[in-house]
Amino acid sequence: MELYHVIAAVGIFVAIYMVIISEKINRTTIAVFGASLLLLFKILTQEQALSKIDFNTIGLLIGMMIIVSITRRTGAFEYLAIWAAKAVKGEPWRIIVVFSIFTAVASAMLDNVTTILLIIPITLVITDTLETDPIPFVLPLILSSNIGGTATLIGDPPNIMIGSAAGLGFIDFIKNLTPIIIVIMIVVIFIFRLLFRKSLHITEEKRMKIMQMDEKLAIKDSVLLKKCLVILGLTIGGFVAHQYLGFESATVALIGAAVLMLISKVDPEEVLLEIEWATLFFFVALFILVGGLEEVGVIRILANGMLNITQGKLVLMLVLILWGSALLSSVLDNIPFVATMIPLIKSMGELSGMDITPLWWALALGACLGGNGTLVGASANVVGSGMLAKHGQKLTFMRYLKYGFPIMIVTIVISTVYLLVFYL
Amino acid sequence: MRNIINSAEVSQHTIKLQQMGAKVQVINSTLCYVHFNIEGLDLEYVYNINYNGNYFLERIQPYPLAIEEFDTEHDLVKLIQSDVNKFRNAMKSRHVDRFISIAKQINKTFTTFEDTFLNYNIPTEKVDKIYKKILALEFEIDMIREIAKGIELEDPEDN
Repeated sequence: MELYHVIAAVGIFVAIYMVIISEKINRTTIAVFGASLLLLFKILTQEQALSKIDFNTIGLLIGMMIIVSITRRTGAFEYLAIWAAKAVKGEPWRIIVVFSIFTAVASAMLDNVTTILLIIPITLVITDTLETDPIPFVLPLILSSNIGGTATLIGDPPNIMIGSAAGLGFIDFIKNLTPIIIVIMIVVIFIFRLLFRKSLHITEEKRMKIMQMDEKLAIKDSVLLKKCLVILGLTIGGFVAHQYLGFESATVALIGAAVLMLISKVDPEEVLLEIEWATLFFFVALFILVGGLEEVGVIRILANGMLNITQGKLVLMLVLILWGSALLSSVLDNIPFVATMIPLIKSMGELSGMDITPLWWALALGACLGGNGTLVGASANVVGSGMLAKHGQKLTFMRYLKYGFPIMIVTIVISTVYLLVFYL
Repeated sequence: MRNIINSAEVSQHTIKLQQMGAKVQVINSTLCYVHFNIEGLDLEYVYNINYNGNYFLERIQPYPLAIEEFDTEHDLVKLIQSDVNKFRNAMKSRHVDRFISIAKQINKTFTTFEDTFLNYNIPTEKVDKIYKKILALEFEIDMIREIAKGIELEDPEDN
């Protein structure tokens, strides 16, 4: 590898990263352009570029997007939300608690943005009915979505990438991350109570309007609903057993998606139209960009540097990765960050010979929970605030920061204690 | 991101409409906006190509008019072309401005009538009176068609 290859790879990577951060150009457009430059400057051949793409991550995302696209047509999520709001007798604070838990659980099984897209519309209908400020309702949902998504392999794209690269399966994530996420959710709900409970006052008449809502009207297709529930259940069962069955997680998701498309009889063009192709191409381009750095040896140099800084001590690496990921992910897109960190951590493992498994958990916790820090920290935050803006309510950067950043710090402190106690 | 947020907004409307008792079917479609400028007159149409391949055409300028539903793109373009030809010819008339203001007034009158009918208890004799006046107006228009000379326009098919 020539020196100019190294300089070009680093130059392209840094320049593209800067443009992504600046948000001046669409992130997918600039990332694909950057990846094409690596080919143009012969830093990677086409075959090498393709070999850098993690098709397990891409396949898992496509499979789950298809399953969700079909399932959301049934109205099941709206049914559950209305049923839950009535079950807590339309009491605002209880609605926040039950919706936050529902969001966290749904986010653990689905993509965070998808969960937000499903839960916020019904939440806004409820706050309209109650004639109350929607922000104390929506903000906890955004935070819960990012927290819940951290709990499983399929909950958040960084986890999918980490699981695929590190060979960690669904059960590994359940065993290592779900318990601490449950603890974090309990603490965060307590914080929500301190923050929002006093501001929620409604009249008996408005509460009764919630009780008059009919959840059955939300079900659009009960036959499709049954099919979706069966396939969703089998797919989650498949994730639980995929390591024992010898399947990649993407295989499970794609089989589930293929069977659901077959039995649902929903037009495939309609389903595929709802796939977030821009996000998928962004992933593909990032894998190639980071692959370029790997190919020219830069990742190895960075890993060596990190080992020198931490003097090869796992505790320092753990804390550095957890807090570094959290702080950076609170202001940056966590997907390119995790895409860069994965080969770096792998390389640190190869160079030091130590068991780096705890570092993967530190990266997952930091990158996913860090997204709660600011309004631009995670896609769910941006989508949630965008939906509020469409509804005529502005969730400003500062108002979000006032709640999001301290809660993010609390969750990272809890994660630090957890990692230090259980992994050292 | 905008598309994602819009789709969530559709969900919100859907839930509200369902709670009102409606059955809501969300169909992906493409909306086309067409603009002509004929000697200073803005002639604008919107049509929507839906999932089943049907086209719903509406004229929005110089005055709104729901036109019709078409099965083929050929029929749609043919109708727009015929409409444009008629307006192009109408622009030669000294009465074009009055014609457009009368058409706008008819639209406005209909809106006022609907608003009155839906928001007020109207005595039967007043309803009868309005009906008779409308019939008289229709008769007047029919009479004009009887005595006025027809305009021969090129068939768009011939182009």
